[in-house]
Formats: sequence, structure tokens, C-alpha cells
Amino acid sequence: MKPRVAFFDFAGCEGCQLAVLNCEEVFLDLLEQVEIVEFREAMSETAHRIDIAFIEGSINREEDAQRLRDIRARSRILVALGACANMGNVQARANFTAPAEHFKRIYGSADRDRVQTDPRFWSLWAHTRVRAVHEIVAVDYRLRGCPMVAEEFLQLVKALISGAQPRQPANPVCVECRLHEFECAFDRGDTCLGQITWGGCAAVCIGQGYRCDGCRGLLPQANLAAHRQLLSERGLSDTDIRNRYRLFGSGEALGEEQRP
Amino acid sequence: MTASVAGEAAILDWIRTLGSRGPVFFPQKIGRQSLGFQPVRRESVLEFAGYHPTLAPPGKRLAPAVEVLFQYRSTPDRGLEFSPPPQPPGQILAGVRSCDLKAIHLMDRVNGAAPGDPLYLARRAGTTLLAVDCLQPCDTACFCAAVGSLGWRQGADLFLTPLEEAHYLMEALTPAGATLLAEAGFDPCPDPETHRRRAEARRANPFGRHWPVPVTELPTLLDHQWQSPVWSRHVERCFSCGTCNLVCPTCYCFDVRDDFDLAAPQEGQRQRSPDGCMLPGFAAVAGGHDFRPQPEGRQRHRVRRKFQYLGARHGGDSFCIGCGRCGRQCTAGIDIFAIVTDLIQHREMAP
Amino acid sequence: MTAPSTSGIVPDPTLYLPRPARILEVRDLTARERFFRVALPEPLQHRPGQFVMLSRPGIGEAPISISNGPRGDNILEMVIRKAGSLTGVLHTLKVGDWVGVRGPFGSGFPLAEFQGMDLLFVAGGLGLVPLRSLIQPVLAEAHRYGTLTLICGFRSPAEELYREDLQAWGRQARVLRLVNETASLPWDGGIGLVTDPLATLPLDPARTLAILCGPPVMYKFVITGLDARNVPHDHIFVDLERRMKCGVGKCGHCQINQVYCCQEGPVFRFSAIGPLREALS
Repeated sequence: MKPRVAFFDFAGCEGCQLAVLNCEEVFLDLLEQVEIVEFREAMSETAHRIDIAFIEGSINREEDAQRLRDIRARSRILVALGACANMGNVQARANFTAPAEHFKRIYGSADRDRVQTDPRFWSLWAHTRVRAVHEIVAVDYRLRGCPMVAEEFLQLVKALISGAQPRQPANPVCVECRLHEFECAFDRGDTCLGQITWGGCAAVCIGQGYRCDGCRGLLPQANLAAHRQLLSERGLSDTDIRNRYRLFGSGEALGEEQRP
Repeated sequence: MTASVAGEAAILDWIRTLGSRGPVFFPQKIGRQSLGFQPVRRESVLEFAGYHPTLAPPGKRLAPAVEVLFQYRSTPDRGLEFSPPPQPPGQILAGVRSCDLKAIHLMDRVNGAAPGDPLYLARRAGTTLLAVDCLQPCDTACFCAAVGSLGWRQGADLFLTPLEEAHYLMEALTPAGATLLAEAGFDPCPDPETHRRRAEARRANPFGRHWPVPVTELPTLLDHQWQSPVWSRHVERCFSCGTCNLVCPTCYCFDVRDDFDLAAPQEGQRQRSPDGCMLPGFAAVAGGHDFRPQPEGRQRHRVRRKFQYLGARHGGDSFCIGCGRCGRQCTAGIDIFAIVTDLIQHREMAP
Repeated sequence: MTAPSTSGIVPDPTLYLPRPARILEVRDLTARERFFRVALPEPLQHRPGQFVMLSRPGIGEAPISISNGPRGDNILEMVIRKAGSLTGVLHTLKVGDWVGVRGPFGSGFPLAEFQGMDLLFVAGGLGLVPLRSLIQPVLAEAHRYGTLTLICGFRSPAEELYREDLQAWGRQARVLRLVNETASLPWDGGIGLVTDPLATLPLDPARTLAILCGPPVMYKFVITGLDARNVPHDHIFVDLERRMKCGVGKCGHCQINQVYCCQEGPVFRFSAIGPLREALS
């Protein structure tokens, strides 16, 4: 029987699901191998039992967390799809602001006050921290990046249908730049997060003349002290450095002593 | 063997025409300030002047980032079938400097050691090398003279020596080189020896960076410095990013993985890609034990490999060829020349 | 075109190509370890202590010890511990399924040198698997050797490997079976570490060869025990484990200083490998 695959989206742009749909050359081959039972971008159906659940988006509200727990309970394998699901992504920057202040910025003082005083809105305060999927349920596999990388998605699907584990070595983006013979962003006068960021993205940003902003998250072996020193030597202020680290990775636990 | 003398413009024009025989690679601009061995086209901008070591060494054209080891097919009745990859196409690597030429020679030794690596040796057999001597150091990072790479000629089919007034002595060192040179139709040179001597006299001396001890003493020196504060000092800023391995002309370690097409999962291929001993987990075994879990140990392994292990195994003084790529491309500024300098100084400070 | 400097060698174009092998038998030895017997298209022609590169195309390849003694046939026996991606898939295979085999590779044990000597085998856990390829031919011609002793240790009775073999070998050799703890199953062997019997074992250091196979931590303690009994280091053989991607001295993963574990090893005389840093830890 074909594995039953489902996609669920939470707080995010659904760009990762689009990236899946954009695997045009292999998407029909994929449908030969798996049965897609839930996929908001392509269809609407609900399934009770799921073999592989792909979760896109960060978890921003308690009701989302409940929905995620329900998905976990009926899924054999759960995959966090993309930077939002894996590390909160840019929306997790809200975690650095007090919730009341955050409501005010978005809705204005009057509405903020109403949300605080009207009991009908009190449930909004139940959980106001933007969370990654693994903070709520067990995650079996991660597909990192903003958006996720189509090739990695395919490799994961291929591994899972053949009963193997996907190969995701903890190598930095630098490995990809060297193998593709890209000029280092530092040699172009830019600064880059490639040395401390999970590779697997074929270094597309650097290959396009940009730099790595760390959308795939912090490597376990990342030498942050050295990296901070390097960025500082290249003229970045402490605030610049903090903003660079937080752009995608604000939801990540860097460790207090290392947090910029 | 035959020799010719020709002007730089004529030689470069000729190199541009060689592309009709198969791919020709020559150092060309990549990005803002870098060079790479890129395919030569008729409109390519080529020049010998302004050369500095390319991002990846030319030898990587003999060990591509993805090398297919075999194709497989699985059938229910006949089981598994395996077939070797097709013969690689021939290629010309032109503008190869002596340091990189020596590296290719060393990789020939490594891959030729029994059992010979069939994929490397097939690519190598189909590769023609046009090498160029250096009369000035590329930049302040290189130290080819200190490790015996300067003026290296072995392995080249054609060897070019810079003469005055933008002319080059072109010497054929192999029958293939002689054929190529004859076809080029440049003015023959009856007395290459004199030209070579004159060029030698113009070569910078001292040439680039040097250590206070000869490279032949490094194996012994390293033996006495297994536990040295130098190792940890030079990894304080290390990102374990593997750049030093992946740009090194004599790093050849690889990782292997299988892949198949989603449309036909019964068939696929096994392929290898470069790996690096500075990357965490390189020396970890299935049970979880890692023989070099810390960057210090990995750095020590890398340095000893270049100056001690590979020479002991395959012959030769140094498998570091002094191109300076690892130090130049390390964003943490870790320089293998400086590590060795520190080891030498540390030895002298020891009682 | 130029020929490489080693043009005398004609490379084997099939160096990286496995041979198809069909699974004849699959059997659980423990909850994690499964025994496989496979048939190759032609005789394996191996020496005890050698290994093969075993693969499942589409999944990957890994070095696996040969567990059967050389018999001149095309049979390969192995024990696979479920530890990762490839071994996990191998555990799902059934009789009649196909795997790929390259090899045999590595040095193996110098069996000819063992004749006339007392042999002391020390195995820790999975270390018994490659040792079986040596014990089988030794016991088949036991008259050629002196006293034969096997000390094998397992974490618990549930992790004991080759239980029937150990009992059968006990008729020809002194077999000491030890476990660290007996909570899981009834146990008819001893309790303790493989180093424990070393202190009191009747042993003539001049005519004893010690053959060790187990996890890195075991070597250190067993060799200390053998030192106390004055067994010279050139009488000690160790079988080392390293990560390997090629098995033929090219991928660099198994390098111990200038030594390639896949070429000169994985069996080494301790006097040769012991002085090398990073050999045992």
C-alpha cells in the first residue's frame, strides 16, 4: 500500500508547499509512490491515519498547538517542513517584544486595550510565544530552509519509501560553496552566516551573488564566538550582528551566554 | 623533445582554438576577485598575467564533485546488475602552475597505488596538461619554494616558461605534448636550455615564504609535537567548515552515497563526493566513537597528513604543495604555513 | 595523452562494483543482531579476519566483518547489528533477497604463524563475529595448535552471540562466557569483565598469542592485563574498527596516521599499531 502523505500548514507563507508543487519534473512520479491525503495547496480532504505528515509554519496560538498534537497522534512520521516549522522563522522575532506591546503595534492602543479587557478575547493570551514544531511535539525529520529545498524533500521521500534514513550531514553552507566553486561572500566584501549554518541548500543564495542569512538554522558545532568576532572585524556593530543572527533564527535557543 | 618560442597573444589564441577537441580549462575570472579553471570558449578572456591560485585547484577536474561509481538495476528474477560508468571524455587543463602540477603528480601516486582507482586513472589518461612556470610569487600567501613545488615539471605534456617581452618557451615533455606543439606551428626553438637558464636567472630569489628549517625535517618535528599548545591555538577561530580540505589540491578523501530516480526506484547509481577530515564526524564509527571529536585533533591530522603521513605512505617530502589556498580561503584566517612556523618556534622554545 | 607516473598498474574497472549475492538464511541472534548467510556468484576466497563492503543498492554500503572460516565455497556469513540507515534496511531483508558484496578486503590473521602456539581469543560483544572466522579453521585443525582458550564477554545474557557455536567449541577449547549483569535471562556462564580471567589463566607468555576483538575501550584494559602476564606485544593481535567508504585505501576515512585500516588492517599486530596515536582511542 502506498504511504499516505499529508501536508498541514500553520503560521507561514505556504511557500514550502508551493516548493513541493514546483517539483514539476518529479511531482507525478511522487504521486505514483505516495498517496496524498491532505494538501491545502492542491486539494481538500481529511484523513484519520497518516504515514508521513509534513508540517509547515510556526505554532503561534494554543489552538494551533492542539491541532498539531492531534496531527502527531495520527501520524507515523512527522516532518517539520521549512524554517517556520523548524525554528519559528522571522515571525518568532515577536518573541522579543512583550505581547501587549506587540498587539499595540499591530492593532493600535484602543484594540489592544479591548483585547485585554474583553473576556471574549482572553483566549488570545493563552499562548503568545511563536514556537517551532519540535517545541510541542516530537519531530522525526527536518527539512530546513526558507523555503525548503526541493532536492532535500525528494531525498527524504526516497529514503522513507525505501525504509532508509535521509542523509543530512551537519556540514556548513561553506561545503556547498567550495564544491560549486562559488567565490566566498567575504571575498566580495560582504559578510555571511554560511560557516555556522546547516548546508544542504546547494548554497543557492551565494551562487546568485547574495550571502547566507542563516535560514537553515544554526549548526550544532557552530563556533559562534569566532563568528561574532569575524563579523565585528568586518565592521558590523553588535546590533547589526544581533539582527543578522535573529533574522531567521530568532526562535533558536543559542544559549544565553552566546545570544547576541 | 621539441620546443618552440611564441608570444603570449599567439599562445592564448591557440589555446582558444583547442576547444574543438574537447573541453579545455583555463584560469578565468569568477566573481569579483577570484579565478577558476573554467571552460574555454572562443570569446573567453584569457591571460597569463595577474594569475593567483584559483578557488579550486585544476586537479579537481580529475575528481569531480559528483563521480558516478556505477549504475545498478534490480530485477526480481535476475537479482542485481551493476555496470561501470561510461569512459570519461578527454580534456585539456591549460595554465596549470607548477604547484598544482606537482599536486596532480602526487594524486597520480595516490590513485595509482594498488589497487589503482579506475575512475581517476581513466580521467587522468584522457587529460592533457599545459603547465606554466612562475618567476614571481603569486601573492603573499604562497610558499611553493619552501615545499619543493617551484619549477615542478613532471606530469606536464607541455611546459611553458615565461621569457622577456611577453614570450614563452614551450617545451614538449611527452609525445602527446610534442604532437600538440607540432600542430600549433609555432617557431621551433633549437636551444631551450639557454632560454630556461635565462628565465631561472630572472626568477625571484628568495621566492615567497620560507621556514627556517627544510621541509624534510618536518616529519620528525611533528613527531615530537603531538601534544603542543600550537594545535589548540590555531583552532580557536576554526569553524570546522572543511574549506581547507575542499580547496586543497592534495585532499582526496570522499564520501559515498546512493541515489535513484523516483520514477524507477529499481535502478539508480552510487556516487562519491569530496569529504574533509576537518568536518565533524569524519572519523566517527558506527558505534558512535569518534577518533577525532575535537577540532584540535582534526587540525593536527590535516597538518600531519600533508607533511608526514602521505609522504611516508606514498613517497615524497611534502603533500602540501604550498599554493596557499587553504589559508587564503579560510574566513578565520587559519594558515597552514603559520601553523608550521609556530610548531618550529615552539620546538625551539622547548628545552 | 600523458600517462600517470604509475602507468604500470592496469586499474580494475570493477573496483567499486559489487557482486550480486543472494540471501540463503536470516536468523536473529539477539534483539539487535541478525545473522545472514548469502551466496556469492563465485568462491569468496577470503582469509580469517577480512571484511567485505556490503551494500543494498539505493541505500548504501558499509564494511562488514566476515564471520565464517574459509572453506573454499561461495558462502559468506555475517552478523548485522541494526545501527543505522543501511543496517536498518538490511534487517528487513528476507531469504531470496539480493545484496551487493565487494571484497574480501584487508589483511586478515596470519594463520600460518599461529601454528604450534597457544591461542587466547578475547572477544567483546560483536567482536566475536570476526573472531569466528578464525576460530572455525583453528578448531577444524586443532591438533596444529597448542592450548586454545576463548574469553568472550557480553553486556547481558540477552546479548550473547553464537550461543550454539560457543557450546560446540567448548568441546575442543576452553570457553569462558561472561556477562556484566544477569538481570535479563537465566545465565549459565560467569559474571564479570573479559579482563577478569586474565590474572589467573594458566598462560605461558612465550608460547601464547592473544587475539583481541572488541570495542576500543576493551583493548586498553585487556592489554594491561596481558602486560601483567608478560605477553609480548608482538604476540598480541587486535582487530580495529574504522569508518570506511571504499575498502580499498582511497576514501581516507579509516586512516590511522600513515596506516590505512582497510589495507594493512583491520587486523594488526599490537607491537606495530599500538605506538600509533589514535589507534585505540
